[in-house]
Amino acid sequence: MLLAHLSPLAASLFSLLAIGSLLLAFVMLGSHWLKDYLLAFMAESWLIAILSGAVGYYGNYHELYLVAVLTAFFRGLVLPYLIWRIIARLSVERELHVTLQPSSCLVLGAFLVLFAFVVSNHLGNSLGLGGTVVVLALTVMLSMKLIGFLMLAVRQEAISQVLGLLVLENGIFLGSQILVPGMPLLIELVLLFDLLVIVVSFGVLVRYLVAHVGSTSSRELRRLVG
Amino acid sequence: MSVRDVLLQIAQVVTVLVLAPLLQGVILQWEERIQRGRGPGIFQPYRDLRKLFGKQIVVPNTASWIYWCAPVVAFTCMMTVPILIPVLTDFPLPLSDMGDILGGGLILTLGSFAIVLAGLDSGSAYGGIGSSRSVMLGILVEPTLILVLVGITLLAKAMLPFVVNHLLVQQPSAYWSPAHLLLVFAFFVLLLVETDRLPIHSSTHIEVYMIEEARILEYSGPLLALLKWASMMKQFVLFTIFCNVLTLPWGLSQHGTAIGALAAAAGLFVRMLVVALVVVFVETAQSRLRFFRYQEPLAASFMLAVLAIAANQLR
Amino acid sequence: MVEAWLVIVVIAPVLSAAVAGASQHGRMAEYANLVAAAVCLIASLWLVVHFDGARTFINDYVLFDALGAWTLVCTCVVYCLASIYAVGYMRLLREEEARLPGFYALFSLFAATMICGPLMNNIGVYWIAIELTTLVSTFLVGFDRGQEAIEAAWKYIIVVSAGISLALLGTVIFYWAGSLVLGPTYDMTWETLRHAAPRMSPALTQTAFLLVLVGYGTKAGLAPMHTWLPDAHSEGPAPVSAMLSGALLNTAMLGVARFLTITDAASGSLLPRTVLVAFGAFSLFVATLFIVRQQGIKRLMAYSSVEHMGVLALGLGFGGPLAIAAVLYHMLNHSLNKSLMFFGAGNVMRVYGTKDIDAIHGVWSRFPVTGALWIAGAVAITGAPPFGLFLSELALMRAGFATPNAWAVIVLLLLLIVIFIGFLNHFRTMYFDTQRPTAASVPVTSGVNVSTWMTLPMWLALLPVFVLGIWWPQELWRFFETVAADLGGGMR
Repeated sequence: MLLAHLSPLAASLFSLLAIGSLLLAFVMLGSHWLKDYLLAFMAESWLIAILSGAVGYYGNYHELYLVAVLTAFFRGLVLPYLIWRIIARLSVERELHVTLQPSSCLVLGAFLVLFAFVVSNHLGNSLGLGGTVVVLALTVMLSMKLIGFLMLAVRQEAISQVLGLLVLENGIFLGSQILVPGMPLLIELVLLFDLLVIVVSFGVLVRYLVAHVGSTSSRELRRLVG
Repeated sequence: MSVRDVLLQIAQVVTVLVLAPLLQGVILQWEERIQRGRGPGIFQPYRDLRKLFGKQIVVPNTASWIYWCAPVVAFTCMMTVPILIPVLTDFPLPLSDMGDILGGGLILTLGSFAIVLAGLDSGSAYGGIGSSRSVMLGILVEPTLILVLVGITLLAKAMLPFVVNHLLVQQPSAYWSPAHLLLVFAFFVLLLVETDRLPIHSSTHIEVYMIEEARILEYSGPLLALLKWASMMKQFVLFTIFCNVLTLPWGLSQHGTAIGALAAAAGLFVRMLVVALVVVFVETAQSRLRFFRYQEPLAASFMLAVLAIAANQLR
Repeated sequence: MVEAWLVIVVIAPVLSAAVAGASQHGRMAEYANLVAAAVCLIASLWLVVHFDGARTFINDYVLFDALGAWTLVCTCVVYCLASIYAVGYMRLLREEEARLPGFYALFSLFAATMICGPLMNNIGVYWIAIELTTLVSTFLVGFDRGQEAIEAAWKYIIVVSAGISLALLGTVIFYWAGSLVLGPTYDMTWETLRHAAPRMSPALTQTAFLLVLVGYGTKAGLAPMHTWLPDAHSEGPAPVSAMLSGALLNTAMLGVARFLTITDAASGSLLPRTVLVAFGAFSLFVATLFIVRQQGIKRLMAYSSVEHMGVLALGLGFGGPLAIAAVLYHMLNHSLNKSLMFFGAGNVMRVYGTKDIDAIHGVWSRFPVTGALWIAGAVAITGAPPFGLFLSELALMRAGFATPNAWAVIVLLLLLIVIFIGFLNHFRTMYFDTQRPTAASVPVTSGVNVSTWMTLPMWLALLPVFVLGIWWPQELWRFFETVAADLGGGMR
């Protein structure tokens, strides 16, 4: 398995990129402005693309170069462009009402990272791989998931929720690059295009939201109860 | 426990005493220069201290013994900390194992606490405001500070700052590891907050913004000089910890000769100038945060410290 | 021959979607959809009747096994009934005549993705199929373009996408667990994973299964992940609600069932099954609470779906031949019955012009025949004899008593009684309560006639439920035994 024969330089490069992505997820958690979100998401996607390329280089998985390029292009350029177009058409630029202060979100996110770390450590030890990049990959994957869910729960703007979903997917992609670099290429490519379709659908739905409900904030979506 | 070591230890304390106002002067001068003013010159804090030592002490009627003790306690604490941390040499000197990193942090806090009490002691409104604000900041800062110090400890698996210094100098992989880099950023935010730089303090003396100055509003004369000197020394000590223990750990004297100590002092000051440059840029680029938003940079620092601790376990 | 029929069952809805999308008039789209639905039904019935062992096609990407065949039948039955109903229902939306081709295109596409799901051998492609069903059905749910419909569509896509991303995480961890045994690259098919399962790490597979359970459980409507279900099922047009309830939820439970087999083979512990049973019991509990105090007619049906998915989860959790047979029988009966209920609700909504239970009264006098069908369906769906759901729930309870989780059977029994009372109470107020103060009495919209297109599917749905309730065919028993053997033994 790739992770068992990793050189220290490669391991520290992977850990740097993974921690960088997690940090950017926290930046997304703590910012008020939608443009900041988007830029952090772009940077995160680029980091993950570089990670993909690095895994391909160190593990001799040449198809991962293609995946890295496609990730950088689609996740790093096309998706943010599409979302930017949606934002440009809306009249909102920032979260107007906050359920939870950004600083409290950051602290809560830190505790979620600790929880993810405990779980991953337990899993890693049960596999005998404790203390390697595996635990790091699992921690970052699980914590990006948890932070994504936190973003979905706490944010009210439609765009923020879409970005929260994309962070969820980013987390899975990051983890899968480190843990299962040998996953069949077809699956990875289809997942990438799947994301594109999702964002396009979201664009259409946001337009409907604006047209029929009048606002994109989920505080207005309170008519269906019980 | 040779004479040379004792002399070096004294030299460390003297370095901090003497160079602290110079650092403050340099920072203020550069800030003025960046804002296209002329600045008062880098030796102005020395002149201020000399002037204050010659002035009369005016004591409020409501002051108690705390009023007299607090400046002395603060000054003494600030003189104690340089004994514990690597200032000039990278090997432990006599009495430097009196306290480890955590102990050093606690002594710094003790000094601030004494000044807080002094602010409350005279019973004036401004002192009360300053003290309450400073305590509120302390509630936000202290847990983060302890976490950062714990992170540093976990990085080197030892509680002494000297071991951390050796680790970072000898192993570049530890220097460039995410745990260390995150700790640097976390400590930088704390540095800004503890030395009362923007985005926390305001450069004007309007009462509603003051934190530091409000606490010492009632002081005059030599006591005020001691307090100002103590806060300058605190800034110097924090910069020293930042440079020597975390960010730029190179350049400390390894054999303890006189030339080495002098060169180490000069090198230390040069490295601090680098950090001061960054601090000046950061300060000039931002404006003061609204009071209820003070938690935001501190929450970011907390989060970075937690991430550093988690990342450290994964090395 | 099997390949030919499989190709037909997949291609037919896709073709009809293309035709409907390209057509100008509603009529052409309607008939294309109807034809495709009928063809699908015939194909799926043939495939089940002539089933002779699991086969794989197209380089192991398509799997045709017993469980998949059965789910296919349930899906196609609902598709056919809903298509017939949709012709009459959507014609009542006279002001939106121009949007009908779009509706039928989406409808057929939705059916196509649901048909593809059970046939996928690769666990990643299966996830993609589920994701596609979510995307297509969102637009169907929001078809009304009203404020509530868009709100329901938004909640649906956000909650379900977040949920199935958890399922993707579980899938990746399953693949990883397999890769520790089989090497970095291998075919991620159900069979390969099951063969490698005994050598996979138990802790890892259990974690992965829990993630998959929560993920696909969101899609299937298990509580507490069911929050999107009442909104989406009540705001979409009635044929879409029938498809969502009767066909889509089954496809998601299929994933859970298959992953459960892998987990069982990997670790001998009872934790995954117990968690599944706990989710099922909790879904029943939540559904009971909301059924008793319900005010909307379609939300009532939606919570009934939550209840029945809870029952399916219980059955899957119990495991063993009897429980699996009960689950499969329950699937088919529930699909038929739920379609019937949604069709009746749709009729009543169109005629009375409202969704509130309080505002609907005198149904018995207004619709003697379809009213009788509807209330018979209500009696059936709460599990009373002589209908099919009674037989399946009885078998489930018998199977449950033999497992360590017998407490769940007691819970099931009690909650079913409460649901029976609550559900039929609502029907009593709608049908027979003539002394109710009708201060906000809604005049019956005259001129809205319930056409044959809208009543025929109700007959077609009720009769099989009745027949299956008094006769459980022997051939079906043998078929279910094959499925149970595939899914492995249960708790002992």
